[in-house]
Amino acid sequence: MNTSRYQMIAPNDIKDYRNLANDIAFASWPEFMLHDPIADDNWHDLFDRFNDYQFAMLDTETNRMAAMGNSLPFHWDEDLSALLEGGWDWVFLKAIEDHKNGVQPNIQSAIQIAIHPEYQGRGLSAKMIQAMRAIGLSKGFKCLVAPVRPNEKSKYPLTSIDNYIEWKTDEGLPFDAWLRVHVRAGAKIIKPCHEAMIIRGTRAEWEEWTKLKFPESGRFVIPGALNPIEMNLEADEGVYIEPNVWMVHS
Amino acid sequence: MSTDRFQVITPSTSQDYRDLVRGLTKAAWPEFMLHDRIATELWHELLDRFADYQLALYDTENKRVAAMGNSFPLRWDDSLPNLPEGGWDWAFVEAVNQHKQGLSPNMQCAIQVAIPADYQGQGLSTKVLQALHGIGESKGFKQLIVPVRPSEKSKYPLTSIDNYLTWKDEEGLPFDAWLRVHARVGGRIVKACHESKVVRGTRAEWEGWTKLKFPQSGQYIIPGALNPIEMDAEADEGIYIEPNVWMEHRIR
Repeated sequence: MNTSRYQMIAPNDIKDYRNLANDIAFASWPEFMLHDPIADDNWHDLFDRFNDYQFAMLDTETNRMAAMGNSLPFHWDEDLSALLEGGWDWVFLKAIEDHKNGVQPNIQSAIQIAIHPEYQGRGLSAKMIQAMRAIGLSKGFKCLVAPVRPNEKSKYPLTSIDNYIEWKTDEGLPFDAWLRVHVRAGAKIIKPCHEAMIIRGTRAEWEEWTKLKFPESGRFVIPGALNPIEMNLEADEGVYIEPNVWMVHS
Repeated sequence: MSTDRFQVITPSTSQDYRDLVRGLTKAAWPEFMLHDRIATELWHELLDRFADYQLALYDTENKRVAAMGNSFPLRWDDSLPNLPEGGWDWAFVEAVNQHKQGLSPNMQCAIQVAIPADYQGQGLSTKVLQALHGIGESKGFKQLIVPVRPSEKSKYPLTSIDNYLTWKDEEGLPFDAWLRVHARVGGRIVKACHESKVVRGTRAEWEGWTKLKFPQSGQYIIPGALNPIEMDAEADEGIYIEPNVWMEHRIR
């Protein structure tokens, strides 16, 4: 792979950045993952408040966006082991709150590294992590934390996240490919965050998102979900609670 | 589609029947389903003892077999709601034992309608069921019973089979496509059989069959399985217990 083929760009470098970046999100995530209300309500804040922390990787051969990275700064004085169970949703709201209140940030959190499906398996994720850390270093932060989505857990929805993060390959690295990418880039696992994202929808919404049917209340396995969802027909509501893994790059 | 394109062949009409149907079962099932001990041990009996009850659909255009139906005769004097939980495995063992003892059968039992992926969705399942009816009728039976595999339940592995078999589509027919195919040709649901097939394997075998890893004991979701499997790492054994649905067809 010619390393100069992929060039890092910032939101103001190209026209239409947000739309191109959205295309990657739509192509890389299962539909239901696009319905986290915290993400939907606050995504614009990434660009309105934290523009310096957003970037993408441009394929200069095809002039297409191959990957995008999103992060944000926040303030954290406590030990990293005290990071909250709320993971992704929590850190997004915390960063906005700190920014509104003029609280000086001292740490960076990753929000997303999305690789377009056509560009997966080429080692781009490691380059994206490096680029994200470079942003934090330029701001003088000592570490980058990340509520990582261990996406291969979707094949093991009945296993607890606490056990899953212990699984190792023959080399002693994490079993999960995304956890492994971070560890190879020097990160350490801190702990799971059990309620990193919460997605609620009516039965009809879940049926549309998943192409499954939910004729009764109960737990259902959903393609791409890390845990089963809980469907409650009387309340006409299905709830998905996604577990992630807090990791730190020092 | 010309109705003549698919011809019913049987072991007695086609000398090369065994060769023609070879590999068909493998093409129609997830790998782990080929490791049911009863099926593995007794499969040869279908042609050795019950050759009259086997048939296939031959695609005259592509010169290959497009579907297969397997059945055998059975004696059951009790009422149908008392059919055993053992479903598929039970029926196969019972039919062979009864045949060995010379017991005269009073009904037909179908144990497989296999359609390779590239022939699915063309209505061949209905043709196979009708042809199976034809066999039963020629033998003078009034009933065909079937431990049906509701294969779409693999998308709902956490739902109990007892609830699943009550799910309906908007026309009031069974939600599950295979239950629906049977219902459309007159089949009636009798009840679930919760231990229709039992597949046991070591952890290494399951890893080979499913391409998953099982680093610890517990329940796992397996692609194509109707329920989770239970892996016991200490005993080095994973067990899959497949639920099926007893259905009954009246023959004419």
